[in-house]
Amino acid sequence: MEYQGDAASLQSLLMSRSLTDAELLEASDAAPDYAILPDANVLKIGGQSIIDRGRVAVYPIVEELVKAKREHQIMIGTGAGTRARHLYALAAEFALPTGVLTDIGSAVAGQNAEMLGHLMARYGVPVVNGTGFGAIALYLEECGAAIFPGMPPYDMWQHVPSEGVIPPYRTDAGCWLVAEVYGARSTIFIKDEDGLYTANPKTDENAKLIVSVTVDELIEMNLPDLIVERPLLELMRHARHATSIQVINGLKPEFITRALAGEHVGTIITAA
Amino acid sequence: MTDPDPLIASKDLPSAFMRQTLLDRDLVRSAPNRPVVRLLPWLHVVTIGGRSIMDRGHDAVVPVVDELRAAFGEHRMLIATGPGVRARHVFSVALDLGLPTGVLASLAATEAEQNGHIVAALLAEDGVSYLPHTSVGHQLAGHLAASPAAVSNGFPPYELFEFPSPMGKIPQHRTDTGAFLIADAYGAARAIYVKDVDGVYTCDPATAAEGEAEFIPRVGAAELLAMDLPTLPIDRLVLELMANAKHQKEIQIVNGLEPGNVTKALRGEHVGTIIYAD
Repeated sequence: MEYQGDAASLQSLLMSRSLTDAELLEASDAAPDYAILPDANVLKIGGQSIIDRGRVAVYPIVEELVKAKREHQIMIGTGAGTRARHLYALAAEFALPTGVLTDIGSAVAGQNAEMLGHLMARYGVPVVNGTGFGAIALYLEECGAAIFPGMPPYDMWQHVPSEGVIPPYRTDAGCWLVAEVYGARSTIFIKDEDGLYTANPKTDENAKLIVSVTVDELIEMNLPDLIVERPLLELMRHARHATSIQVINGLKPEFITRALAGEHVGTIITAA
Repeated sequence: MTDPDPLIASKDLPSAFMRQTLLDRDLVRSAPNRPVVRLLPWLHVVTIGGRSIMDRGHDAVVPVVDELRAAFGEHRMLIATGPGVRARHVFSVALDLGLPTGVLASLAATEAEQNGHIVAALLAEDGVSYLPHTSVGHQLAGHLAASPAAVSNGFPPYELFEFPSPMGKIPQHRTDTGAFLIADAYGAARAIYVKDVDGVYTCDPATAAEGEAEFIPRVGAAELLAMDLPTLPIDRLVLELMANAKHQKEIQIVNGLEPGNVTKALRGEHVGTIIYAD
């Protein structure tokens, strides 16, 4: 661990300055970065794109994940999907605040984690949430995998979007933040397209696949629709560990193993 | 492109957002645009600063708590506490250990919670309890029907899911921001920050030369950010979030070391600095 900073001066800045003080922030920047689970990989399974498809899409992925966990530690985050969209539409009609939408939407990611948990139970894979994260290291060590609901726990404290009431930080952000805080080795988003396109390939036949792109380029492109949550791009700019994500097509389940092996099989989005 | 697999289409649930990415700007915009409901329009969110009030102990905390208690008949409130100097200490240790921002956020939130327990203990006799985040998020209405106030952790429940910071590793979502976000989500009547300064000054009155620090009684959030002052009594993130706030278009910073200020602010009087969304 290399650390050039001076711990004593950092401590004195912390005791005397405001937490927005530029010098204090710079000193905190120089503190070492310890990756908590450097061998873990975060895989996000799309809600609408994968789980809502049911058996056809989910069984082959479960099979692939069971194989993959023999060689890799995998933290499996779940998306929400069509029921969350129904809830959001209903709650938006009542003009309820974003915090309420966040709360009810996160229950759907929880259901998806529960279903996946039952399917993977016979392989020893648990579902963790909240304080359960405290035991995740043991699960990864002993069984190679653990499942978590992808929604961040922001609840009533979610940021409010500039327009409308849909929560801006959802399961893409939640799964990426898990990778970032644990210092995971890789972050893979499993969706139902070969990666990121210039438009929604489901509705626009001129949409072109983007093989690799930086966050800045993606923000610059200002695409009308996107396969990942927009605010995630802003978060990735400040990544210390999870500096890239790969978006792959889970309808081709072998891509999961290949992406875990470091192959480029979808779209790679990098922080810089 | 239509989905060729009938099994897939059958699992969609009809809704205005069906099969949307929720990221298409035009589609999201087309959602019905009624004004967002104020869930608890009578709620007063009062934040008690950690460093500014709690760390000063008995002489600073008791008068503030007494003023809040005296206002219980008039107002129902959520009292949020900051962590103070212990957060600085735990940041120092955790940063030295190389731990990430999310872990720092989780550790500091624990300290804010302990200050909340202290304030709740001082008000227990009046029916006030400390509520964990999950109760504040889900049962606040019921608690405040039974009791004039509840105390909570000012930090929002971001913890391990805290955003990485643009600069350095100090978590951005702290007490000021947490209290602001919950006040906006509930559509609260007022968000009051009890600190140890009269409000916003052009520079730190504690360290500036005599007469140099100029008091600002009322200022726009964006205007204040643009002034780029060296020090502010409120976290900048609150000022940034005010732009998108649905309800909390004003916040008030008052000096809790001066008797009467908290009472006046609760009654809507202009003491201290009012910052508004501009």
